Amino acid sequence: MKNSIYLLLVTTLILSSCGSTNKVLKSSAYSGMYKEKPLSLLIMPPINRSTNVEAKEFFHTTLNVPIANAGYYVIPPFLSMEILKRESAYDAEMFIDRPLNVFAEIFGADMALFTIITKWDKSSLASKVIVEVEYIIKSTTSGEVLYNRKGTVTYNTSVSAGNSALLSILASVANTAATKYVDVARAANNYTFSDLPAGMYGPQYGLDGGNTAGFKVFKVRLPK
Amino acid sequence: MKKLIYLITLSFIITSCGSTKGLYSWDKYEQASYNYLKKADEKSTEKIIEQYKKVLNKQKGTRKMAPPGMYADYGYFLIQRGNLKEGKANLMKEIVLYPESKIFIDRILKLIEE
Repeated sequence: MKNSIYLLLVTTLILSSCGSTNKVLKSSAYSGMYKEKPLSLLIMPPINRSTNVEAKEFFHTTLNVPIANAGYYVIPPFLSMEILKRESAYDAEMFIDRPLNVFAEIFGADMALFTIITKWDKSSLASKVIVEVEYIIKSTTSGEVLYNRKGTVTYNTSVSAGNSALLSILASVANTAATKYVDVARAANNYTFSDLPAGMYGPQYGLDGGNTAGFKVFKVRLPK
Repeated sequence: MKKLIYLITLSFIITSCGSTKGLYSWDKYEQASYNYLKKADEKSTEKIIEQYKKVLNKQKGTRKMAPPGMYADYGYFLIQRGNLKEGKANLMKEIVLYPESKIFIDRILKLIEE
């Protein structure tokens, strides 16, 4: 009896954990984050190399929420967008390979987030969108890449009210095409940044280094 | 036996990827911010202002505090609409809540003075 109880317990643990075979710990996958302990992040305008002209806006407006939710300070998105435009710095492509100290001086940003959208294909027949996007967080002081993940996200746009409350809310809102596509970007961003080490305002700050990191290059179908 | 069921339930709860309550509540802010970025017309501006008010005044997140950037962006919208006094007050609230914003917000306040 005792043995079977143990077996049952172990199986439960295995089945119910957020399983992944990737054994890299967050503390080593994102070592720079733990070393530099950055707090503030500036969202750079996404770089759009896809064929969908709107992809930039879809991503731009759905980046600050998951990062703030992870416990970081996000520089006011609209205000910073305005200043970047004024300073003719709205094209993030110009900065991606350059020193970023100027963003620390002007915005007080410890980090700059670059987003590169390489693919946004929609197939209305199969009601899905396939998005390929790379996220790079660089330190404005050391210039190091602190966090980077590249994902291929297949998003099912025909989600009917699912089993989670969130899904049913999303489904009820998702009427127009634009609404639906904002959800694609939001899902991709949320998924990618769910792996971000907790920031200073998060309860797990400094405690999650021993957790397993997600894959740096991933493929995922959303909503799950 | 009852104990065992408790134990199993407990292990499920501990290890599942449970969606716990977030640090902040955002209402329909993301949707409104996309619409504003896309259209920037009167209607989308009103909608986003409405969302800022909800996020700032009806905060349901675990931190019970306005999320980063929201006071400042709200202030920016107010200033754009000519409400300089209230706009500046909101920019200042951002610094009080998030001192790390001071470098940037001070720069904005200076720009307004000019």
